[in-house]
This record gives sequence, structure tokens and C-alpha cells, in this order.
Amino acid sequence: MDLLVWPEWPPRFSALLQVGLALILTALAGEACRRARLPSVSGYAAAGLLLGPLLLGWFDALELASYRSVLDLCLALLLFELGMRLDVRWFSANPWLLATSLAEIVLSFALTFAALQAIDGDTMLALAIAAIAVGTSPVVVMRVVAEQHASGQVTDRLLALCALNAAASVVLLKLVMGGLHGVHGGGIIALLHPLYLLAGSIVGGALIAAAYAGLRKIVGPASEQGPAATIALMLVVIAMLHALRLPLALAPLIGGALVKWFDPRPHQWPGQFGSVGSTLVIVAFILAGAAADLNHLALGAGLALVAIAARAFGKLAGALAFGARSGLDRSKSLALGVALMPLSVLALVQTEDVLQVFPEFGERLQSVVLGMTAVLGALGAIATRWALLRSRESRAGDR
Amino acid sequence: MSLESFAPSRALSIGVELELQLVSTHDYDLAPVAEDVLRALSHADLQGDVKPEMTCSMIELSTGVCDQYETVSTQLEALRDTLAAAARRLNVGICGGGTHAFQNWGERRIFDGPRFHYLSDLYGYLAKQFTVFGQHVHVGCPSPDTALYLLHGLSRYIPHLIALSASSPFVQGEDTGFESARLNSVLAFPLSGRAPFIGNWCDFERYFEKMASTGVVSSMKDFYWDIRPKPEYGTIEIRVMDTPLTVRRAAAVAAYIQTLARYLMIERPYRLAEDDYLVYTFNRFQACRFGYDGVYVHPETHEHIPIGEAITSSIARIEQHAIELGTDAVLAGLRADVLAGRNDARWLRAQHENGAPLAEVVMAQCARWTQGGAM
Repeated sequence: MDLLVWPEWPPRFSALLQVGLALILTALAGEACRRARLPSVSGYAAAGLLLGPLLLGWFDALELASYRSVLDLCLALLLFELGMRLDVRWFSANPWLLATSLAEIVLSFALTFAALQAIDGDTMLALAIAAIAVGTSPVVVMRVVAEQHASGQVTDRLLALCALNAAASVVLLKLVMGGLHGVHGGGIIALLHPLYLLAGSIVGGALIAAAYAGLRKIVGPASEQGPAATIALMLVVIAMLHALRLPLALAPLIGGALVKWFDPRPHQWPGQFGSVGSTLVIVAFILAGAAADLNHLALGAGLALVAIAARAFGKLAGALAFGARSGLDRSKSLALGVALMPLSVLALVQTEDVLQVFPEFGERLQSVVLGMTAVLGALGAIATRWALLRSRESRAGDR
Repeated sequence: MSLESFAPSRALSIGVELELQLVSTHDYDLAPVAEDVLRALSHADLQGDVKPEMTCSMIELSTGVCDQYETVSTQLEALRDTLAAAARRLNVGICGGGTHAFQNWGERRIFDGPRFHYLSDLYGYLAKQFTVFGQHVHVGCPSPDTALYLLHGLSRYIPHLIALSASSPFVQGEDTGFESARLNSVLAFPLSGRAPFIGNWCDFERYFEKMASTGVVSSMKDFYWDIRPKPEYGTIEIRVMDTPLTVRRAAAVAAYIQTLARYLMIERPYRLAEDDYLVYTFNRFQACRFGYDGVYVHPETHEHIPIGEAITSSIARIEQHAIELGTDAVLAGLRADVLAGRNDARWLRAQHENGAPLAEVVMAQCARWTQGGAM
């Protein structure tokens, strides 16, 4: 008798079981938040950090790496969409907006760095954390905007600033990493490597834009094939970016902005890729949390809180600095600053990337970033939602 | 409560109001940015005025009191350009058109102001559904009785004005088959439609007092008639037009009204009668539905002709007055459009039939408004 046709005892389940369970629980956490009149993304973020390590934490590196491509796909898609909302023409019509972005980036970087440096004294760590702190979570911001069906000046500026600071954060962290190379490796690499990453991402972005424009001529974005074609395009892009060792976040963002620049027509996908999109978002939170080690959380908690406070101050001051000149009243400028708070999946992915190259340094970095995302993932989403409601830009029901 | 007295105004002076759409340049849906646009304009030196409207995605611009077509045209162009500059800084789109092609009325917000909240509480969803965009033209009248003569005399030209300005074929994402679907939303209001047939101001005041004593109205603002007297300005206000897609068309329609008014005031060609209104709603419907091709039933002879023909023959009839006012060239342009079957509703439909999604139609609409476009 062939024993292979019968189940083993006790049965052995594949990793899918854990992933599935984690997904269900995360979705439920999101629904619980929605019923509590909180953004469902708050639930995803909290559940991702708790359940990710709990259910997926024991995966070995190989398994995690294979799931990582799903996370990459989600990020690439979202950043590409965010890029398409980055209308570069706006900056030439309203340079004060660019000034706002610059102020917000510089202040949140400088203040976070200064605060951490003063307390901890580890310059490299402070620089890396400050670089990550510059970014606002595109996943959280876009989810909240989609959930509130928001539209208006605060929304538009939030998305533009988020695109710019996410890009700045990626570049800054790469520069810091270049510095680490300087410590750990040769001097010339420290200079050349960031240059390669930047130039490569711009070329990559141009190629993405060209490919998308070509595809769009054949399949409309609202057609059944539209989202599939775009997802497929992003898969190709991810494979190529990996092969070229280019940062995943930058090229899709630049590609999206180039698409909007050369073709200002509305580029709309049905509701953020419909159900596929929201599933991907939930998966992203789970997978981003999977690598988290909650024991580290306590270790970096103090620094994390300091970094959160400094970053918040920088973002608010930046948004308020040129608000009036860029055509936003005080209350909306404040709302814009508050809306910039979220920090989540992208930050975790950035940290994960550092961890791969510099395990020891990465671990210390992770302990602080985990704490920051634990607070700013869930609470940041609430802050963004509050800002959109306060500036009357939510279109999801009147009350 | 009694009606305010009829203020004196220069005969045949005109003022134009245009309600405009504010849209996002991302998805070209209506965007709640009226407050930001108004803020951006607060320091601008405007000839005319820019005001908020019922919902946060609408804005109204108005010229001052003008005597000449050229002044109207210049002022509207200046207002358009100032507004366009502000819109660029905010990265929002501005366009004409009687309706937004695919907005969802449930998503609209009422502009923060006591009168708007009062209207919203009173009319409920009608107030939000009233996110439609019209052109209003005021005509100065030397006396209140002249105003009422003009009001009832102009009522037979309502189909003409609808067909010339029609620019609302799409509502809530669908082609309605109408050239001006906007007026269907206006009809839902209890005090809409035609004004009662009253020929002198004393009787009109009595009518108003009776209405006010019922508690149904408290000012002329509560009447949503196609043409209504505006005693505080000393004008009558014609309100049936969709906001055209260009200021040139808006100015041309105003010029046509001014010329008609001169013809009516000076020649007094009709002996007005209640029975003139027998065909009114039929004619109005035909104009909304079919534009130039609709049937026009003459109020006296009951002859049936296409509305396009009624327009061209009216332009011929008032030619002398057009020359006096300097509007003859503009009216010749309108006549050429009628003969060629060109209006904004057809232009919009042509964009959509070329395969462009409605969001891209709105984008083209914005470009047409900002660049001025051909008439």
C-alpha cells in the first residue's frame, strides 16, 4: 500500500496556513477599527506588527524572502500610483509648495538627527533614523485618502509632499548607507554607489513611464485588462530592479511622475485596483511586520519616542512655514502637517534592507524604527484622517 | 413683509453672472476648493466679483454693470484669466458647462454660510442635486412696468436662449439625451418655472405680499423663476442659460439678450397675454431636449418651426437694434453657429463619442474654458 496518498499524522501544514490566518485576523482588525470610526489601516498596522512576528516570525529567511516579492509588488504599485498624483507642473506654478516640501524634509531630518545625537551620541544611527523619519508612509496616506474618498487642497498637497519625502527618505538613507560603506569599505564606493542608485532609478523610471504609456495605448486603465497589465508591468520592474540592485521605491515613483508629466490625462484605476489592491495592502502590513522582533521594541522605545516628537515638530513647522505663501490658510496648513505623520511599511522595508547588509547596525536601527512605526502606523492613520475631516475634504458621507 | 421698491437703473445696461465648476486635475471630479480659490483671489484687483455658491465645488463670477457688449466681454475675459492664475497655483481646474459630467451629488458639501445652510436644511438633497451651473443675465429697466413687459416679452425667447447656451448633456456619468439637462434639476424646486402673468408693478407688489403672507416666501430670492424681477438692482434677471464652455459664448448670449431687450422696449411688438404661456413649457422642454432641432410653437400663430429657425429669424428681426448697440457682428457669429448646428452640448457629446472617457471630456472642457476656444 502506498502511504503517500494518506495524510501524515500529525498533519503538516504549509506556511500558507499561517499567512492565511494572519491575513484574516488583520482584516478583522481593520474592520474593528472601521466600526470604531477609526481608519481601517490603523487596524492593519497594529495587527501587522503584532501578528506578523507572532504567526510568521519563525519563518526562515528563505521563506520570508519569497514572500517579500509580494510586499515589493504592493509597494511598487502604490508608489507608481502616488507618482502619478505628483504633478510636477504644480511646482513651477507654485514654487512655495516646493519650499514647503523642502522645509518639511530638512526640518524633520535635522531635528530628528539633532535630538537623537544629543541623547545617544551614535552619529550613524542618528543619521539613519533621521533619514527614515523624513518619509511619510505612502501606504497609510493613500489608504486613508481612498477610504475617505478625499479631495481638495490638503489632500493634493499631502500626496505631493508624501511622494517627495518618501523619495528623499530613500535617497538620504542610501547616502547614509554610503557613509557606512565608507566606514566598513572603500572610500570611492561610498561616493559612487549613491550616484549609481539615483541615476539608475531615473533611467528605470523613464523606462517604466515609456512602457506604461505604450500599454495604455492598447488597454485602457479602466478596462478589465488595465490593472492586470499594470501589475504585470510592476512585476517585470521589480525583477529588473532587483537584478540591478536598485532601490525598489524610487523608480516606480519617478515613473509615475513622468507619466503624469508627459500625459496629463486622468490616470485612474478603479478604486486602487479594486479588491486586489486592498488585499495587497493588508498583505503588505503583515509581511512588513513579519521581520519585527518585539523584544527589540523595548530596547529602542526611548529613542523612538524622542524621534517621534522631533519628527512631528519638524513636519508641523515645515508645513506651517510657507503655508500662507503657498495659498493655504493656517488651519489647513496645520492639518497638512498633522496629515504627514504616518510612518509604516516603507520604513520597515527600508530598515529590513539595511539589516540585510549590516546585520549588527541594522538590529539597533530596527529596534528604534519598530517603535516609531508601532506608534505612527496606527496613530498616524488616525492623524491623517482627522486632518482630512477637519479640512472638510472627506467625501465619504457628510457626517 | 413687502417687496422693496424698484431701484432705478440705466435702461439696457447688462450684468452677467457665471457659475463655474471647480475640479481636481487628478480625476477631474468636482473638488471642494471654493474656499481656497476665494482666498487666493482675496487680494486680487477684480473688475467685477467672485463669490461662493451653494456647494464647495462651485464659484460664481460676475461682471459689473456694463452698457456695451465689449465691456462685458473684456471684463469676463479678465475675470477668467485672474481666476485661471489662481487655479494654476492651487492645481485645480475650472470649467464651464451646465452640469458636471459624472459627479456624484451625494458627495457634495454645502458651502459654509448661513443662507446655504438654510437652503440645504429646507430643500434637503435637492440642494446638493442643485450642483448645476447657470449663466444669469441682468438687464437694466427704466421703470418697473417696463421690467414686467420685458419679462413677459422675453419669455417667448427662452427656448432660443436655452438652445444657444445648452452645455449639459451628461448627468451623473450618463448621456441624458438632453442638450440642457441642467434645467430638469431646477424644475424640482417648488417655486421654479415661469413668473405669473402680471403686467404692472402695483399688481406684482400685491401678488408678492399675498405670497409673503402665506409664509412661503420672504424675498424675491425665494422664487426660482426662469426670469424674475430684481427690484433692488432695478433689473430683470434671465436664469435659464447653462454656463457656456467659453466666456465668448457667454458674452454673445448676453449681447443677444441685450439686443432683444432693446427691440422689445422700443418697438413694444407684442400685446402680451396669459395665453402666450400655453406653449411655454412645451417649447422649453423641446429646447432642453433637442436644442436647435426642437420644435418651437409660436405663441400667437401656433405655427411649428425648428428652434434654430426661430433663432435666425429673430436675429434678422432685431438687426437694426444690433447695429445701434454694436452687437451685429456677435449676433452674426451666433447665427452662423445656429446654421452650422454648433453649440456646447454638441461639442461635449462629440468629445465623448470620440471615445474619450468623461473624465477626459471634463479635462477638455477645462482647456476650452481657460484658453477661450472658438465660439
